[in-house]
Amino acid sequence: MSDSLLEIDRLSVDYETARGDLKALRDITFDVKKGEIVGIVGESGCGKSTLISSILRLTAPNTRFREGEVRFKGQDLLTLPERKMRDLRGADISIVFQDPMQTHNPVLSVGRQMVDIQHRSSASRADKRRRAAQMLGAVGIPDPEARLDQFPHEFSGGMRQRIAIAMALISEPSLLIADEPTTALDATLEVQVIERLRELQQEYNCAILFISHHLGVIAELCDRVVVMYAGAVVESGEVREIFHNPKHPYTRRLIDCDPGHIKERARVLPTIPGEVPDLANLPQGCIFQDRCDQAMPRCAGDVPPLTTLKVGHQAACWLNQMEDPV
Amino acid sequence: MSLLEVNGLKTSYGNVNVLAGITFKVEPGETYALVGESGSGKTTVIRAIAGLAPAQEGSVLFDGQEIRGLSERAMRPLRKDMAMMFQDPTGSLSPRLTIRNLITEPYRIQGMKDRDLDAEAKRLLSLVNLPSHFADRYPYQLSGGQARRVGVARALALEPKLILADEPTAGLDVSVQGELLNLMNDLRERLGLAMVIITHNLNVVRHVADRMGIMYLGRLVEEGTTEAIFEEPRHPYTHCLLSANPEPDPDARLEWVSLIGEPPSLLNRPKGCEFRERCPFAKDFCHNTPTWQIEHGHGLRCLAPLS
Amino acid sequence: MSKPRSELHLILTGVARDPLGLMGLIIVGTIVFCALFASWITPHDPIGMNIQDRLQGPSLTYLLGTDQLGRDTFSRVIAGGQVALKVALPAVFGAMTIGLTLGMIAGYGPKWLDNLLMLFFDTIRSFPTVMFALAVVALVGPSLQTVVLVVMATSIPTYGRVARTQTLTLRNSEFILAERSMGASMARILGVHMLPNIVGVLAVLAAMDIPTVIALEAGLSFLGLGVKPPTPSWGALLKDGYSLIRQTPWLVVGGGLPIILATLGFTFLGESLRDVVDPKLRKQR
Repeated sequence: MSDSLLEIDRLSVDYETARGDLKALRDITFDVKKGEIVGIVGESGCGKSTLISSILRLTAPNTRFREGEVRFKGQDLLTLPERKMRDLRGADISIVFQDPMQTHNPVLSVGRQMVDIQHRSSASRADKRRRAAQMLGAVGIPDPEARLDQFPHEFSGGMRQRIAIAMALISEPSLLIADEPTTALDATLEVQVIERLRELQQEYNCAILFISHHLGVIAELCDRVVVMYAGAVVESGEVREIFHNPKHPYTRRLIDCDPGHIKERARVLPTIPGEVPDLANLPQGCIFQDRCDQAMPRCAGDVPPLTTLKVGHQAACWLNQMEDPV
Repeated sequence: MSLLEVNGLKTSYGNVNVLAGITFKVEPGETYALVGESGSGKTTVIRAIAGLAPAQEGSVLFDGQEIRGLSERAMRPLRKDMAMMFQDPTGSLSPRLTIRNLITEPYRIQGMKDRDLDAEAKRLLSLVNLPSHFADRYPYQLSGGQARRVGVARALALEPKLILADEPTAGLDVSVQGELLNLMNDLRERLGLAMVIITHNLNVVRHVADRMGIMYLGRLVEEGTTEAIFEEPRHPYTHCLLSANPEPDPDARLEWVSLIGEPPSLLNRPKGCEFRERCPFAKDFCHNTPTWQIEHGHGLRCLAPLS
Repeated sequence: MSKPRSELHLILTGVARDPLGLMGLIIVGTIVFCALFASWITPHDPIGMNIQDRLQGPSLTYLLGTDQLGRDTFSRVIAGGQVALKVALPAVFGAMTIGLTLGMIAGYGPKWLDNLLMLFFDTIRSFPTVMFALAVVALVGPSLQTVVLVVMATSIPTYGRVARTQTLTLRNSEFILAERSMGASMARILGVHMLPNIVGVLAVLAAMDIPTVIALEAGLSFLGLGVKPPTPSWGALLKDGYSLIRQTPWLVVGGGLPIILATLGFTFLGESLRDVVDPKLRKQR
């Protein structure tokens, strides 16, 4: 696994609340290799935000890391001194957030902000400015030199998100975390942003951890996919395997639910009835059993482990471990 | 007679013409979708219909009655027949009221004091498949999907003829989104509701809308049945919008046709065809102004339509 | 998900969980209790003179000593608390109610009305409180009611401005738009939907304002412009103590300590309330 850039290893994270410990992440294991685009799919409450803040160690004060490691280039980030962690953030690990309207400081010009984030570099101010203009051009902002002096409100939402990407890539990070970067955008802009991300990824060869609930975007952009449900990884693997040969009932039904692949007008669209269980009061056994139409007695007993079914495909479901698959 | 007839509706804030003349009809029991990029004026259209945004010109006939420019007081009795749903499922619920009070709010506003509000609350909650003990909860205790269903329950309280829905699936997970659309489809059939629905999710449009209109810079550029438009979009803008819809299949190649540049400022509308500068299919003669042409019930504002 | 509990219960348990809030609650509770049952608690008549026992130090008979006329300081402190609350509560409550109403109307109503009300607020705010008080007292003479009126008038703009800002933020929120789409009248929108979301913020402001008002009453009484002697008031006690400081320090202690305690108590309570009332902060609890 020497080509792994980021390894999440049995990571378990709790939130201490008045109602008891909320087990936000349980036994999360996956990795991101150099220059790879890994998608994380999951619905509200699956633990995506906790995962990102754990990787960056920007967690709420009531967070407790119960177990596991987050290794970046072989180094455990959870035990790194805060000063070293600060050197990593925005340098070797960058992030693009969901809402492009709120990620920029409204009172500083875009150019000023792009020069400021190069504070680690010893280049001259003029060089930094040139670099900023070059990055703006790279994300497809026309006339970048002139637009450096404009303020965030003078750009449209799609442009602001591309500026955010430019700012994240300016330090040439080895890992870019994109937290639902297209959710707040129109469909046309969404496609524009993912196309741009793909081009830049090839140009800078950085790995991307792409978080989204939009299956179409994941299928379009990612090499591998991690499916999360209620704080656990239920399935992970190559994007083709996951979409064409899902081995966890949740993944299967999630794909079924996406109206994108139902071409005819449907009277009744598929859904997953029920709700995500209370993470402060976990049920025994499989986390998905309440909503699963294939649940068996065994599912109420033990938590199914994430097991490798074949190279590049893992799932956590007892169905895959029956002696005689029917 | 159409249930809703919007004719040449214009809205401007100062010298910004947000709506530059919108015309469409909705028949009883029909679902009409308005589609377009942000800033195309979709939300303003339904707010202007409901009297929540100004409309300086044009007419809005609801059930044969002119409602543009009516006072709050004159409008109130009509609101029994016209309900709205808003984008933010939780944010559109008054935060300090219980669900019971929220969904029975329309009865109170309309002064229907003789109704048994507890019974109504129970009936409405069961209509949207929520357990009756939810009546005592507060909005912040609900998930997005549950809050959305409360919004539907409230919109249905007075059995309206028309629902104006602004992004009704925004903020919902895919697994819950289907549930809401099924519910709305079902209610529409049972109660004979007509709907005007705004969304930028084209996958949603395909499953709920009978007809759709595509908006660009405060104007309709194409209109027709949902099947016809998905099958064969004639306006280049529609074509670009429909192509920007990645499928949940890694092998399906995205044949995306990119729009050129950014939407122009409403303060400085382009001359001739307003879409010309962003159109990947523009011809020389597109500097002329296209008119609205209707052919076999399919409306189009384009000089160089795709075939 | 826990069962929904009443708002007041949530707020009180929230405040009691915070150590400073609990302290504030205890101090304020004690002051209110003493004021309510002053006639039972006071060991002596607060205005009953006893010249033989004048200017005594603390003893078992006179817990905080006596003043120059032999009145029991402890009894006067307790009774003074009653006066302080009689001024502070109606003044703050009145100012809050009027400020809230005007502020919401300014924030929700038409632009010209907003401008007019803001002009009114700014005009009042430009009077220095003490000068204004001096002028009013000179006109109608010192009395409890005068103090209440002056304090109320001068604090209306503070509440009005906060209520207006809150209303402006809320008026474009989706739930207000939703109410309008159902045909809710302005009175209903303001009273049923805006008010409960604004009143919390103003209650916090009011809790923190009470000590200011108590101090102001004490200040006016100190200047001889407040309540008339022999009515006991903390300010009057302080004034007597000040002139007699060479004979006995106990009068200053008696007048000063309750002011300090009341200030701290109400401020703690207010700060803690602010954290609890803010729904964003409460969600994390």
